[in-house]
Amino acid sequence: MSKISAPRSNREFVEACVRHGDAVRIKQEVDWENEAGAIVRRACELGAPAPFMESIKDYPGFSYFGAPLSTYRRMAISLGMDPESSLPEIGAEYLKRTNSEPIAPVVIDRKDAPCKENILKGTDVDLCKLPVPLVHDGDGGRYVGTWHAVVTKHPVRGDVNWGMYRQMMFDGRTMSGAVFPFSDLGKQLSEYYLPRGEAAPFATAIGLSPLAAMAACAPSPIPEPELVGMLSGEPARLVKCETNDLEVPADAEIIIEGVICPDYKVEEGPFGEYTGYRTSPRDFRVTFRVDCITYRNNATMTISNMGVPQDEGQLLRSFSLGLELEKLLRSQGIPITGVYMHPRSTHHMMIVGVKPTYSGIAQQIGQLAFGSKLGPWFHMVMVVDDQTDIYNWDEVYHAFCTRCHPENGIHIYRNTTGTPLYPFATPHERKYSIGSKVVFDCLWPVDWDKINDVPTLVSFKNVYPKDIQERVLSNWVAYGYPPVK
Amino acid sequence: MNQWEVFVMDMAELAEGKDLALSIRTLNTGRHKYTYKHVRCMVSADLDKHPDRLQVRMGRGQLSAARFSIQVIEEIRRLPAKYA
Ligand SMILES: Cc1cc2nc3c(=O)[nH]c(=O)nc-3n(C[C@H](O)[C@H](O)[C@H](O)COP(=O)(O)O)c2cc1C
Ligand SMILES: [Mn+2]
Repeated sequence: MSKISAPRSNREFVEACVRHGDAVRIKQEVDWENEAGAIVRRACELGAPAPFMESIKDYPGFSYFGAPLSTYRRMAISLGMDPESSLPEIGAEYLKRTNSEPIAPVVIDRKDAPCKENILKGTDVDLCKLPVPLVHDGDGGRYVGTWHAVVTKHPVRGDVNWGMYRQMMFDGRTMSGAVFPFSDLGKQLSEYYLPRGEAAPFATAIGLSPLAAMAACAPSPIPEPELVGMLSGEPARLVKCETNDLEVPADAEIIIEGVICPDYKVEEGPFGEYTGYRTSPRDFRVTFRVDCITYRNNATMTISNMGVPQDEGQLLRSFSLGLELEKLLRSQGIPITGVYMHPRSTHHMMIVGVKPTYSGIAQQIGQLAFGSKLGPWFHMVMVVDDQTDIYNWDEVYHAFCTRCHPENGIHIYRNTTGTPLYPFATPHERKYSIGSKVVFDCLWPVDWDKINDVPTLVSFKNVYPKDIQERVLSNWVAYGYPPVK
Repeated sequence: MNQWEVFVMDMAELAEGKDLALSIRTLNTGRHKYTYKHVRCMVSADLDKHPDRLQVRMGRGQLSAARFSIQVIEEIRRLPAKYA
């Protein structure tokens, strides 16, 4: 494999973004209460450079980095690629790296780990010493974890999980979070800790390298520490926690250690979500008790501000959900051309291109997609043929509106897994994560006669002979038209 | 005078003249703003009745126009001692 030179820490990433014009340094003081959140939100809605806020009210010495991966340019930079890389190029690189051999992490000495530069234990522990932002006005609290990883380990099997599960500050030593029952952490809790009434050690790492953050929110079956290694082409550098056996990224800006309480819950939410709404109700949720905080000198807190498109909640999750589905479908030998989710669908619609070589292929794709680990996060699968450009919404929309039979082409699945975040779901469905799903089959039926039954697509490319097409293209400007880029 | 805020699904949760158990968050300025406490308290629409002020948000964060005065009677320790 050619050498990858991806930013290895949040600091290197900020530098790289500034160098490429993809981050701005904000010197003037910014308020942690709403102002920082509003800057990040506006940057997301404009597709503007990421704000690096160097001076925060009440918190001298700390900084914020917002909207880290809310553009494809920043995603390319995070992978060590040319910022001009196209989405299919970035996707191909992700697939290449995540299909490579796993690279195991290394554990380094405490004294070499930047995240140990400051250590708060015992009565010194107070989350209010960190610049925890009020991200959106009206949120249920200040959110500690919006762009981070919650690190846990299965006590028997030993599998390590890093997941991005939002965490609200309830008080100086308590956080509550939305850990959905179908997530890897949700399963660890319901399978092991909750039935035994045992407290689960956790560590929240904030200000990760962008690829560690990407791994924490990728729905991949590969354990995240190995996945980071594969994405960055070198072992992730980890260090032991102060108060438990977990290992955390040594270059992270802030580490919060503690236990998840099996027998104590406090309220969490509401919070602005990736769908572009506050949907999930305030509720008693998974509760984290904090025992220790460590952080780098001049620590940077990373902030993702979820709301209407587009932020990393849509951009990055659409990217990794689509590509993980692509891997799954290829592993099953299905002749797909690719998978794409528009970020603007708030990762609710998978678009799959396939060569329709046998009957029922769209439903097979839908059932695999909905039945997989990825399934709870989207509810629509649209299947188009291999002649349709899945990245071109005009083509996909045309195929949908003309080829999807309202009775034979729409397949509904009831009582599936959903999330409490679906805006259209009933209050009852939200409470119990009940979903329903739909497949839009936009393929010509295999049992239609190709000559007599299948309509002919009337387009420049499809109906004219090659020589006419070439003549028209080469004469286009001579006819008096401006050149087409 | 302390400023507090509470989230409710229904205004009926703020019955006047009753001993209530609520999770309220402080709106006093400073680093601890928006941290919560579980408390026993009394509330009243009469702003002069109790020493502190309480404002209200609904389930999705909408700020209510209603204002209350509040008396915090005591903090409730719900946290099991082993996590203290
Ligand atoms: C900014 C952001 C916030 C997220 N918040 C949550 C959350 O609160 N709860 C949750 O279950 N998933 C959340 N997700 C999605 C998970 O990170 C994602 O499902 C990830 O794959 C979880 O890892 P797992 O597959 O190991 O469970 C969030 C993703 C992003 C990008
Ligand atoms: Mn995982």
